[in-house]
Amino acid sequence: MADATQPIVEFLNRFTAALGILTPVDVEETPDGPRLNFSGEEAELLARHRGEPIKALQHVVDMAFGRNLDDEKRIFVDALAYRKGKDVELRQMAKLLAAKAKDSGLDQQLGPLNPYERRIVHMAVAEIPGVTTESIGDAFSKTVHISLRK
Amino acid sequence: MTTGPSVVRAVVEVLARALTDRADEVQVVETERKGATLVELYVAPGELGRVIGKQGRTAAALRTLASTAGEKEGKIVTLEIRDGRP
Repeated sequence: MADATQPIVEFLNRFTAALGILTPVDVEETPDGPRLNFSGEEAELLARHRGEPIKALQHVVDMAFGRNLDDEKRIFVDALAYRKGKDVELRQMAKLLAAKAKDSGLDQQLGPLNPYERRIVHMAVAEIPGVTTESIGDAFSKTVHISLRK
Repeated sequence: MTTGPSVVRAVVEVLARALTDRADEVQVVETERKGATLVELYVAPGELGRVIGKQGRTAAALRTLASTAGEKEGKIVTLEIRDGRP
């Protein structure tokens, strides 16, 4: 485990202890940064309400520990791989809409999405030649437009 | 009043301590009223920004997680954030 990860895992363990749920943290070090996943049945509490609790915990972890990390890296907090599954779904949806934009010539929209989700869409569509993405809006959540590259 | 250590209080304390640089000055007070639970989080003056965050995003995250803790105990939770001491 990388040195920077240890305090985060300790924090997550203090959090679940306070919450009174028994959920081991699985740690995976990736080139993009540590991926921390709560496993065990009781982690379901954090995946309720469309994963709002686990997203909130991600934000707290970013605020509390993000500045100790290298610029390129990000901490990823998950429960029962709920967010990982959502990310896979979003990537598939982005590619599907990109193909649709290419075939029909019509703009496709996805969202509103938060910055993390938009990044996934931009990166997925970038793999497909001939289409381009743009974020529209000025709020925290924006809609991503997928259109033919002119 | 509450009996024994409260889950909501413990959770808010752990989160707030991680967010501020002056963890020892974090205090959480919990009061019951008419079936609702009021949780007051006190942080050191000047550390308020850390727990509120840009656009109040950190405060929103704390409220979400306080509600999650409340869900476990069957409580409806309101979180207020203040600076100084109770």
